[in-house]
Amino acid sequence: MTSTKSFLSLDKESKKKMVPYLLIAPVIIYYFLFWMFPVINAIVESFKSVDGVWTFDNYLYIFKNPVFYQALFNTGFIVVFSVTIEFVLAFGLALLINTKFKGSSIFLFLAIIPMSLPAVAVGAMWSSGLATRGWLNSLLMTIGLIDDGGKFLFLAGGRMATMWLIIIIDAWTVIPFVMIILLAGLQGIGEDVREAGAVFGGTKFQILRKITMPMLKPTITTAMILRIISAIQIWLIIVLLFGFNRLPVLLEQVVLNYDQLGAAYFERIGLALSVLVALIVSAASVFYLKVSGSFEKEAVQNE
Amino acid sequence: MATLELIDIAKRFSKNVWGVKKMDLEVEEKEFIVLLGPSGCGKTTTMRMIAGLEEVTRGTILLEGKDITDIPTRDRGISMVFQNYAIWPHMSVYENIAFSLKLRRMPGNEIKARVQKTADMVKIGNLLKRLPGQLSGGQQQRVALARALAVEPKLFLMDEPLSNLDAKLRVIMRTELKAIHQQTQATSIFVTHDQSEAMSMADRIVIMKDGKIVQIGTPDEVYFKSANIFVAGFIGTPPSNFFTVKCSVENGGISLQHPNFTLTVDPHEFKELQEYRNKDIIIGARPEDILIVPKESAAFTEKVLVVEPQGSHQVVAFKLNERIVKMIVSPEIKVRPNDTIGLAFNVQRLHFFDSNTEKRIPLGREEL
Repeated sequence: MTSTKSFLSLDKESKKKMVPYLLIAPVIIYYFLFWMFPVINAIVESFKSVDGVWTFDNYLYIFKNPVFYQALFNTGFIVVFSVTIEFVLAFGLALLINTKFKGSSIFLFLAIIPMSLPAVAVGAMWSSGLATRGWLNSLLMTIGLIDDGGKFLFLAGGRMATMWLIIIIDAWTVIPFVMIILLAGLQGIGEDVREAGAVFGGTKFQILRKITMPMLKPTITTAMILRIISAIQIWLIIVLLFGFNRLPVLLEQVVLNYDQLGAAYFERIGLALSVLVALIVSAASVFYLKVSGSFEKEAVQNE
Repeated sequence: MATLELIDIAKRFSKNVWGVKKMDLEVEEKEFIVLLGPSGCGKTTTMRMIAGLEEVTRGTILLEGKDITDIPTRDRGISMVFQNYAIWPHMSVYENIAFSLKLRRMPGNEIKARVQKTADMVKIGNLLKRLPGQLSGGQQQRVALARALAVEPKLFLMDEPLSNLDAKLRVIMRTELKAIHQQTQATSIFVTHDQSEAMSMADRIVIMKDGKIVQIGTPDEVYFKSANIFVAGFIGTPPSNFFTVKCSVENGGISLQHPNFTLTVDPHEFKELQEYRNKDIIIGARPEDILIVPKESAAFTEKVLVVEPQGSHQVVAFKLNERIVKMIVSPEIKVRPNDTIGLAFNVQRLHFFDSNTEKRIPLGREEL
């Protein structure tokens, strides 16, 4: 009540100045309460022992554990290859659909189906498919490519085979997502700039390289950043297919420590690990923006 | 030999939708041709077919005698200015203009000289390092123009290039474009829906409607000898006024009867009208061919509805038989709304149209 009164007693000019702050206040409050607070809390707690004493032990435990380095390598490997494959295939699909050939809208509909499946469903689908007696082997047998003795042991491969399997499944799941973003970007580029490319002597490939792709760059950057971030956070599909610790990756280790091992001691290690993952994600994003030259471009325009 | 020949070309978009139904045109070397018509008449489609951006459903396109109907756009030796400029936002002005020259592997110093020359021609020589986002709309249009000129094409296509500019700049660019054409002498085709733009720039105007050519002629021809009612109504601002009259021949004179007036014309000079005895004729009168005269010698009198001063002239409108008629009069004549004025026609300049076909009734006296 008092605040209302004092607001009413303000002169018109200062009331006007307060309006924008009042309008964004709910968001700011929400942001601090549900976002900043848990994050800061997690960071603080990751530097404390179970007894509440300040310590680096949680981090030291992680850095001494060889599984962490394995998880780091595996995650990096999966990120590099799955994001690359996803981009190439999704861009190809987006270009294809953007030609608006007959039936392209039906094709688009079919292509985005994997995106609509929840991760658990994807896991269930592929784990039942990739099992030795799963539907993938059955399919191959039905069409006569293999016989009963030649069944693939998809899930029993070594580390590299396992990682490639994950990469393929991840790509299958998120290609539609990347494609939609790129397609939206492509549709935002007018037909006429590409037509101008043809009028002024460009081949299809030259138009793609010199006109379409540079103009699509902001969209590509967005898609890549989103993909890199979520690829670093891959874990559920791996756990669904292989369980914990078969193919250690960063976030899987967070979940394992925080959620699965039970003891309060591991919870803190889980917190410390998640702080590290957050740092890695931010570093990777900044690195990508730097490499792709997204910072420079703005500098040129501000000149 | 004509530079460009369109032989019976047509474009069908879907089963019953024709962009261009039938088009035959010959463009001479160095000529400035304007394709003019209301939206949806097929003028832009025609240009896009010439550019190869649209496939031809039927017909043949010859450029300098060579069949280019199925040749890809980039090998046609044409260049084009697009309505929305279509300059590439990620390239500097220099790179935009140099794009086609680089693809042709022209030596570096030649490219530099050519870019500077064309940029100077359209007055953007000092903006070469800028990105398009840092330019005004008019400057962007000049970049598009320079890019098209730098190619030194066999054929220069312009698709409503001025329609995105503000009214004042449009008129300035019109003059500049005409001057550039006189300097470069490039054979040009220009698409517009603005008849005054067409009149002021064209060597010949091709007026299109519903995917067909209605009339081809110099600006004077289409204005003074409009082929039909559509052209007479489309060319000129304000457009022509039309009156349906009954033609009768009595006592050796031809009289044209309208509910509000009767015109009597010389039977020898207008002998072609005799064939329309007891039939309807449509008179087309340009706004400047209706005159204010003393009431004694007037064909009819009418009350003034509105007066629109324009400085150099004024537009006076009145209602005749429930239809608004607009005339142009000199600014010295003082008229006010509700004044009753005497009116007459400049009979020598009237257009006569067949009321069934809406086509011009050719008068022998015109073929001098």
